[in-house]
Amino acid sequence: MSGAEPRCEIELFGVPRLLAGARSLPAAGGTLGELAADLGARCPALVGKVIDGETGWLLDGYTFVVDERFTRDSRCPLTPSSSVLLVSSVAGG
Amino acid sequence: MHGVHGRALRVDLADGTALSEEIPELVASRVLGGAGLASLLLHRFCPPRVEPLAAENPLVFATSPFVGTGITTASKIAVATKSPQTGVIGDSLSSSYLAIALKRTGFDALVVQGAAPAWSVLVVDDDRVSLRPAATLLGLDPAATADALRAEMGSGFRVAAIGVAGERGVRYAAISNDGRLAGRTGAGAVMGSKRLKAIAVRGTRLPAVADPRGLAAAARGLAERSLGPGTAKYREVGTAANVAFFDRMGVLPTRNFQSGRFAGADAIGGETLLLEHHTDKHGCAACTVGCEHRYRTRDGGPTTEVRLEYETLFALGSLCGVADPNAVLRAAARCDALGIDSMTTGATIAWAMECRERGIDLGVPADEIPAFGDGAALLRTIDAIGDRRGLGDLLAEGSRAAAALVGQGSEAWAMHVKGLELPGYDPRKLQTLALGLAVGTRGACHNRSSAYEVDFSDRLDPKSEATARAEAAAGAEDQAALLDSLTLCKFLRHTLHDVHEEAASLYTMVTGVPTAADDLRLAGERITNLKKLFNIAQGWTRADDTLPPRVLVDEGETTLLSRPWLDQMIAAYYRVRGWDEDGLIPAEHLERVGLADLVELAPVAAFAGR
Repeated sequence: MSGAEPRCEIELFGVPRLLAGARSLPAAGGTLGELAADLGARCPALVGKVIDGETGWLLDGYTFVVDERFTRDSRCPLTPSSSVLLVSSVAGG
Repeated sequence: MHGVHGRALRVDLADGTALSEEIPELVASRVLGGAGLASLLLHRFCPPRVEPLAAENPLVFATSPFVGTGITTASKIAVATKSPQTGVIGDSLSSSYLAIALKRTGFDALVVQGAAPAWSVLVVDDDRVSLRPAATLLGLDPAATADALRAEMGSGFRVAAIGVAGERGVRYAAISNDGRLAGRTGAGAVMGSKRLKAIAVRGTRLPAVADPRGLAAAARGLAERSLGPGTAKYREVGTAANVAFFDRMGVLPTRNFQSGRFAGADAIGGETLLLEHHTDKHGCAACTVGCEHRYRTRDGGPTTEVRLEYETLFALGSLCGVADPNAVLRAAARCDALGIDSMTTGATIAWAMECRERGIDLGVPADEIPAFGDGAALLRTIDAIGDRRGLGDLLAEGSRAAAALVGQGSEAWAMHVKGLELPGYDPRKLQTLALGLAVGTRGACHNRSSAYEVDFSDRLDPKSEATARAEAAAGAEDQAALLDSLTLCKFLRHTLHDVHEEAASLYTMVTGVPTAADDLRLAGERITNLKKLFNIAQGWTRADDTLPPRVLVDEGETTLLSRPWLDQMIAAYYRVRGWDEDGLIPAEHLERVGLADLVELAPVAAFAGR
């Protein structure tokens, strides 16, 4: 998937932002699972810390927010207009 | 029963009398310890409808079976009193070596009653109790007070102290120990009203646990997991990470809740602070997580270094419209030095800032009222609050009381529930949290009801009906009560496979009392009901369970709430709780949760000497 055309810009917060050294990264995928795998391929700094190197899916402790809804459903479909955030699933303080 | 001493120390400051109160095993196992035990002792010794700053209002410190066992994060002490800020229960927790030191004295809890004839320090050295003059300590900040006492009495003593704000009766003064604060609801003001500058504690004996080998293995496993992804946010960035994300989600309270977005969020966000202001991080007592991040000012002015959490950051930052991180860091340090709750401080100043914006007469020249975004004025106002000087004397009452004194419609933007100012989560978009804040026993507190977790997850559909919200809010509240009573840090909750299962296993290994997950579920519910029972005895009514009007109507900022919807959720919450439609607890429900006889069973006095 890493060669696919970027479908959306993933906004990063907290640990993902610090690891990536960027506020957002482009990635492609028709589902969140594909998007996460592509993100890991594009940004190796996230692998092993945020994204599982074997499954390509999020490690425990992280979640996506798609169009303002929290989800860890790797089958969640995406559209070109989807807003996607990657953040710690540990909410609050 | 292992893991506890089975007794509490009760001291009357008026004459120095000390009594040992037996805590029967049946009582201890029903309220567990920490917040549960402190609430029970408060219920037992606090007269109904007492004036919070009167000598009759007790100040209770309680440990738990887990304190001193090696279970990570469990070195917490619970403080309970009738709050001078809210008039209902004021229960606070802080992590420090004070908890271990108090438990080493041979008592599970300390109940302080009466008022000393002159400013004093209460010294508990094992079972020896004495009062020392504190005149030379007056005016010192809490850290300097502790340093002075430990230099004089020995470093084996652990100290809880109040700052100038507690001495002067600021209604949201805190009690500080090891730099950590029992911060919210004004326990420091109660301590000051008793002319008690500090408590110094030293001890030599901890109770044995029932299964030391099993517990050591479980504690090691938990410590290892505490370094996993479930705490990465706290360890790597700290709770300050909330600022940027909350701003993006539109739930970062800004300019006294006039907005959920803050233009200066990046400047004060955790990611920026980490790169530009971070100095180091620490763990608090007996903790492997190490979430305590410290930051330093970097503007060429006098250097200030301070520990900072999200709640302080939002309250002194976005809520006051202040985007200068150096000003926020100095303000946080000032709050710690004065010994005041930074959340209520920021929120009350934000209320005053909006008063200025609206041209409200606060009894001082208009240019003495701080303006949104003015970091220097924020610092000046904090100092004035600590001194109870000028405008600070009014603001030292907290936003509810200040608005009631000033009137002119300013009650409409005093952002509190039951007198406790809202935490850094805009309830307009977080409906389960909103319910949790409205019904919370100590007022608007995110720690007593972590219901925001439901809103920040896919657990509930955004259009969920009231009963689902009520069940989620009640469950979150009971789990918080459980963790606060076992004195396990809430930052551990995502590292536990199942909070109730694992806590029950630990509790069994510590105490030897066979305990199942369902027993702890019921215990959490029981403790929530106990706090509510205290509030009812102190005059709570249905009208107290509400939210500030600002979040119930669209004021340019969209809200998912309305008064009818909130009332519907509250009614559902009472039904889920088994309470009547007025929110009162029926006698049969007290029986069901195991409270009916518990209040009667509460400690039996036995003389222990002075």
